[in-house]
Amino acid sequence: MSKLNIHHLARIEGHGNVSIEVKNSKVKEIRLDVVEPARLFESMIVGRRYDEAPLATSRVCGICSANHFVTNLLAVEDALDITVSERTRTMRQLLVHGSFLQNHATALYVFAAPDFVQLPSFFPLAETTPEVVQRALRLKKLGNDLCTLVGGRAVHPITPTVGGFTADVDADALHVMAQRLRDAAADAAATAEFFGELQTPRFDTTSDMLALYEAGTYAVTVGEIRALQAGWTRPIRDYPEVIEEQAVANSNAKQALVDDKPFLVGPLARVNISWDELLPSARVVASKVGLRPVHRNIFSAHICRAIELVDAVDRCAMLAEELAVSASGTTAGDSVAPEPFEVRAGTGYGATEAPRGTLYHSVTLDDRGTVTAADIVTPTSQNLASIAQELTAYAPTVVDYEPEDFKRAVEMLIRSYDPCLSCAVH
Amino acid sequence: MHATKPRVAIFSLSSDFGCQVQLSNFPEILDTLSTFDLVYWQLVTSAELPDTYDVAVIEGAVTTDEQVVLLKTIRETASCVVALGACAATGGVPALVRERGLLEEHAQTVYGPDADKVAKDRREPAPLSAYIEVDFVIPGCPIEPLEFSRVLQRALRRLVDNPQRQSLCGECKISENTCFWLMGTPCLGLVARSGCEAMCVSSGRPCAACRGLARDANLDAARDYAAAMGCDAVAFGELLAIYNAAQEYAREHAAESAAGTTGKREAVDV
Repeated sequence: MSKLNIHHLARIEGHGNVSIEVKNSKVKEIRLDVVEPARLFESMIVGRRYDEAPLATSRVCGICSANHFVTNLLAVEDALDITVSERTRTMRQLLVHGSFLQNHATALYVFAAPDFVQLPSFFPLAETTPEVVQRALRLKKLGNDLCTLVGGRAVHPITPTVGGFTADVDADALHVMAQRLRDAAADAAATAEFFGELQTPRFDTTSDMLALYEAGTYAVTVGEIRALQAGWTRPIRDYPEVIEEQAVANSNAKQALVDDKPFLVGPLARVNISWDELLPSARVVASKVGLRPVHRNIFSAHICRAIELVDAVDRCAMLAEELAVSASGTTAGDSVAPEPFEVRAGTGYGATEAPRGTLYHSVTLDDRGTVTAADIVTPTSQNLASIAQELTAYAPTVVDYEPEDFKRAVEMLIRSYDPCLSCAVH
Repeated sequence: MHATKPRVAIFSLSSDFGCQVQLSNFPEILDTLSTFDLVYWQLVTSAELPDTYDVAVIEGAVTTDEQVVLLKTIRETASCVVALGACAATGGVPALVRERGLLEEHAQTVYGPDADKVAKDRREPAPLSAYIEVDFVIPGCPIEPLEFSRVLQRALRRLVDNPQRQSLCGECKISENTCFWLMGTPCLGLVARSGCEAMCVSSGRPCAACRGLARDANLDAARDYAAAMGCDAVAFGELLAIYNAAQEYAREHAAESAAGTTGKREAVDV
C-alpha cells in the first residue's frame, strides 16, 4: 500500500490537500480536502447596508474580485429594481471580460505551463524561454491596465457602485486601450499556438456543462443559465433551485450538484455552449488546434482559455472603442452616473461568467436596505464534485506511472479546472 | 561582499490571495527577486517549504488553531516577519464577522445545523499581531506593489519599519479632491493611515480605512466631527468595522450595533 499525499497543492489559489491510496497498482481511495479556512461572507454581510455588500464580497477573491463586485451589484440592483444605463452595462461587460485577460494569462502561464515542461514554477522560464515569459507578463499587464482603466484598480475595483460607476472613463484613454488590445491579438494567438503544441493528455468527461448563454454575444454579464447536455435554459433567478449546494464532511467548501449529478463550469463549458458566438479570430484558432463542439477533454480547458483570450482581446477592443465613441456623444444613455432609486425590501439575483465559470450572488434586503440574507455560489464550488469524479476515474489510468509522474498527472487534472479554493470556501 | 542573499518565504492564512495576486501582477517584483532568494510561495511554485528562511511575508488573517501553530513556528524560524495586506495587518474584511453575533452562529448561517462537521477548526479572526510580534506592516486592501518593494527592501536590510504617521486627509487635499463630508457622505480619511494617495476618494469612493488607523489619528475628535456632520458614533463605528473590526478602537461601538441599534448617517446641510 502506498499513499500519495499532496499537502497544500501548489499553483492554485487557496489551500487544498489531495490524498490517494494505492494498493497493488489499484487506486483504493481518493480524497480532495479543501482546507481553506471559512471566512463566512454570507453571514458576515448580514446587517450591513446594501452598498457595502459589493465592497465586502469583492474580497471573497483577489483574482476575480471584479466578478464578485459586479455580480453582487447585479443582485443588489435586482433587489432594488434598478435599471442601469446602456453605458454602465457596457462598462461592466468590459470590466468582467477584461478580467479574463489577467486571469487566463496567469492560469495558463504561471499555474499550468510549468507542468508541461516539468518545472516547479514559471520563474526558470525567464532564462530558458524569455519570450514566453515576456508574452505572459504583457498579457497580464494589459488585463490589469484594462481593469484599472475601467474599475479604478486591477485587484478590487473602486469605481463600480450601485446604479452605475463613481467615475467614467476618458475617451482618449479608451481609444489608446482599444489600440493596445488590437495589438495584443498577436500575443493571444501566440498563446493559443504555444498551448496547442504542448503534449496534452486526453481524458473525456461525461458530465454536463453549464454556462450563461445569450444569442448574439459571448455572454459574461448577461444571459440565462444553459445546460449543454440536458438542453434546458433557465433564468438566473432560478439558480437556487437548479444548483443544489450542500455542505460536505471534512471540507470547508460546499459542493454543488445539478439533478444530483456533478457538472462543470468554466472555459470548456463556455466554448461549447457559446461556440456560435465566438469571434472569427477565435474560431480560426480553435480550428487550427482541431477543437470543435462538443468537446469533452478535461485537459482542453487550457486551450479553451487560450481561445477565450483570442476572443477577449478582440471583443474588449470593440467594447472600448464603442465606449470611446459614445463618450463624446450627448445622449442620456451615455452617462454612468448612478441611477436614482428608492430603497425597498426584496431579494435580488445576479450572475456573471467569471474566468473559472458562472458565479452567482443573491441578497435579501429589508425596507431600510439592510442585508438580511446573502448567498454566493462560486465556479469552483460547482466544479468540486466534478473534479472529485474525474479524478476518481482518471487516477487509475495513470497509477502505473513513476511516483513523480503520477503526482504530476493528478495535479495537472486538478489545475485544468484552475480551481480557486478561497472562492470555493468564502 | 559575498553575503548570502536573504531567504524569503511567502505564506498565506485566511485571505482572498489578492495581495499575492498584486505581487504576481507586477513584473517589477521579478527584478526585486535578484536581491533575495524566494524559497517558498505556494501560489506560484511547487517548491516545498524549507526548514529555514530569513524573512517571512504573511498574508491573511488568523482564523484557525492550525494557523496559530504555524505562525509560532514561523516566528521562531524567521528573523523578520512582514504582515502583507489588511487581513494580516488589522484583521481586514474577514474580521468583520466579529461585529455582530457569535462565530458559531455565523457558521450555522452559512453551513446549516451541521456546521461543526464541516468547518471544524475556527477562531475569531485576528491580525498576526494578536499572536506574534510583527516587524513590518504593508497595509491596504489590496497592498500597493511599490510599497511592498519599499518595505521589503527595509526588511532585507534589517532597518526599522517606518509607517506613515499622518491620516489621509492631507494626501487627499494634495490630490485636489472635494471632501466627501462636505457633500454629506461619511469618509474615514479623517483617521485612516495615509500612503495610498487617496486613490479611492480620487475615484469617487469614500475612504473605508483599509490601511488601518494612522498613528497620529485623533479618533475622538473625528467622532465629534462626524456627529456634527450627521453621522453618529454607532454609524461611524460601523464604517470603521469594515476593515478594522478586530481592533480595539473599532470595537467600542460594536456592542451597540450588536444590540440592534443601527447607526444614523444623515447628511446635514453645510
